[in-house]
Amino acid sequence: MAAAAGPERPQVVAHVQQALSYTLFDCKWVPRSARLLCLGSAARGTGVVQLYELRAGRLELLREIEKAKPIKCGTFGAASLQQRYLATGDFGGSLNVWNLEAPEIPVYSVKGHKEIINSIDGVGGLGIGEGAPEIVTGSRDGTVKVWDPRQKDTPVANMEPVQGESKRDCWTVAFGNAYTQEERVVCAGYDNGDIKLFDLKTMSLRWETNIKNGVCSVEFDRKDVNMNKLVATSLEGKFHVFDMRTQHPTKGFASVSEKAHKSTIWQVRHLPQNRDIFMTSGGAGSLHLWKYEYPAQRSKKDSEGAEMGVAGSVSLLQNVTLSTQPISSLDWSPDKKGLCVCGAFDQTVRVLIVTKLNKV
Amino acid sequence: MHLGSPQLHSGVVSVPPFLFEAILYAPIDDTNSTAKIGNGIVFFTLYKKEVGMWDSLTLENASKETLQYLRENAVRKAHEKAKEETEAKKVTKQEHKKYALEATMKLEEAERKRIEELKEQERQKVTKELELWEDQQKYVENQKKVQKEGQLHEEVGQLKEKKKEKNNKTSIPSEETLKTRLKPTKGSGSYSMFSENLKEEQLPAPRSSGTIKINFTSRVFPTALRESRVAEEEEWLHKQAEARRIISADLSELEDLKEEEKNPDWLKDKGNKMFATGNYLAAVNAYNLAVRLNNKRPLLYLNRAACHLKLRNLHKAIEDSSKALELLTPPVPDNENARVKAYVRRGTAFCQLELYAEGLQDYEAALKIDPKNKTIEKDAEKIRHIIQGTMQNS
Repeated sequence: MAAAAGPERPQVVAHVQQALSYTLFDCKWVPRSARLLCLGSAARGTGVVQLYELRAGRLELLREIEKAKPIKCGTFGAASLQQRYLATGDFGGSLNVWNLEAPEIPVYSVKGHKEIINSIDGVGGLGIGEGAPEIVTGSRDGTVKVWDPRQKDTPVANMEPVQGESKRDCWTVAFGNAYTQEERVVCAGYDNGDIKLFDLKTMSLRWETNIKNGVCSVEFDRKDVNMNKLVATSLEGKFHVFDMRTQHPTKGFASVSEKAHKSTIWQVRHLPQNRDIFMTSGGAGSLHLWKYEYPAQRSKKDSEGAEMGVAGSVSLLQNVTLSTQPISSLDWSPDKKGLCVCGAFDQTVRVLIVTKLNKV
Repeated sequence: MHLGSPQLHSGVVSVPPFLFEAILYAPIDDTNSTAKIGNGIVFFTLYKKEVGMWDSLTLENASKETLQYLRENAVRKAHEKAKEETEAKKVTKQEHKKYALEATMKLEEAERKRIEELKEQERQKVTKELELWEDQQKYVENQKKVQKEGQLHEEVGQLKEKKKEKNNKTSIPSEETLKTRLKPTKGSGSYSMFSENLKEEQLPAPRSSGTIKINFTSRVFPTALRESRVAEEEEWLHKQAEARRIISADLSELEDLKEEEKNPDWLKDKGNKMFATGNYLAAVNAYNLAVRLNNKRPLLYLNRAACHLKLRNLHKAIEDSSKALELLTPPVPDNENARVKAYVRRGTAFCQLELYAEGLQDYEAALKIDPKNKTIEKDAEKIRHIIQGTMQNS
């Protein structure tokens, strides 16, 4: 139930709800439009891509595309604004980039992983971020690979376990720090609670930590700025916000953690228009809207004079329960502030509007 | 004070310890009648049920039975009336409660409605805004389409021009540049390719490939929190810790021993060394002493079993292997190796006693824990053959 106290608080208004006939794994807004994409798996084991348009309080199906393998995740992050190609990762470990106007043959395709691609992110497209467009995929085979759509077959970066090391599933990946043409980092979260930060400019591991519970979702508050904040959500209802501006040589990044949802926190998504507001979605079908407040001083010196970061605090703005099933995917519209789409395992896609975000 | 006699004839006033009773001439209406006590006087105000003069106040000449009957009746009626009154009170109370509840519910409903209305208003406002935005988007889309088509024609025209130029000039560099610009967008339709060419800025080349090797956080046990059989693993660790601490209190015999000989670890090492040199009896002795000091260490039993096997003390070997297995619960990855060894040793002992079925059982258990061990597999096969052989013969 939505907390009613305080009419000045942002409200989450359920705008449209659409029942689907397949399992929905990911939903994404098509940039610069009122259209959204639903990606998932049909009962007969094939992949489904549906394109909807938001029209007069309803979702109208514009296009339905069926593919051989179920699709787990997708991103527009590496596409240009004119072309808006969709990059998808499927259950078979293949990365495909599609032109939605001509979806029969992918624009780029590679069987990059031996197992399902759990998570995908893109950077360098959509007029966001500097540098080459790149796509990163994280898979159950324990590897994280970065692809450039101009280079066939081989990834431009491959983060894989050392020989003989038992692999852990990679559950989530995110790009960040892409504020110049050369700088870029990839953050990956694994099922054993590892979070690793890879610096692509120096091709090295920049930082790692372990948050004890499997990491379901990581996201930088902005991909295209000097890395500012990183939110990592995990199983058992916890999420951590790391202040990424100051890295201490041994202690790494400062963080604050919160317990919420009382179940797995499946996704975190920052509001594109305000990087200090983010929404988390939970395994009990609930959405929480949070605001991060910076501390008075973001860094301080420790006993040896090394700089270390100071984490701020997180406050809950609103929460709402929409479903009994986990809300597994969430996406804010980059064009309309407060408009977001979420997909749940009850085979329903919901379009929500969050009001009063200007007053936060 | 109790005033009785509904409809009947008796009037009773009881103020303990005094009791006044009068069987009246005719029925009175007791609900309206009152009796006031004060100043040593009782003042009765009785309303007659039927108007009329009474011959006398009390009923005279009434027989004892009649009086008795009347009295009892009166009491009974009084009881009933009291009961009825309590019932009536209850009912009114219930009704009051219900009323209160309904009132509260109404208030809450009103509050809820108000909030709902606020939300509805928000919703509508927001929906309207959204529709405006949607229309905007559609408009923009249409514009874009028109633009694209326009550009397409333009670009096709331009390209034709360029081609003509090229053919005339046969300048290789421009051809190359045209080609390199075509590379970035592979496989797409021709028109969008051209629009990319003319619009996009120079993008950096694809990154030179690199690999980063990673390690995952190790744990005491190689399972993640979600997979961990933490309870069992903790139990096992606990047992191990305990085992290290226990020392049996049989001090009299042990006084003769040197300090180091009292240490089960040292004794175990000694035993191992002697086993390695082939001095099995001495090894057994060392293990025996170690066990006396600390009988919770599975490895001691395990190693002693090996010695007994070599000495062909097969029953003892079986005993020790079994004891070791007992101590190696709960079964966790950490004590896998030990368990495999225990099963194998017991299996061997069984086979040497010609109890092949039991032996095979143990070998299969060992194989289940460690399916990749070829020697165990081979031995298990051999036993199977032997069993089949004996069965055929008998």
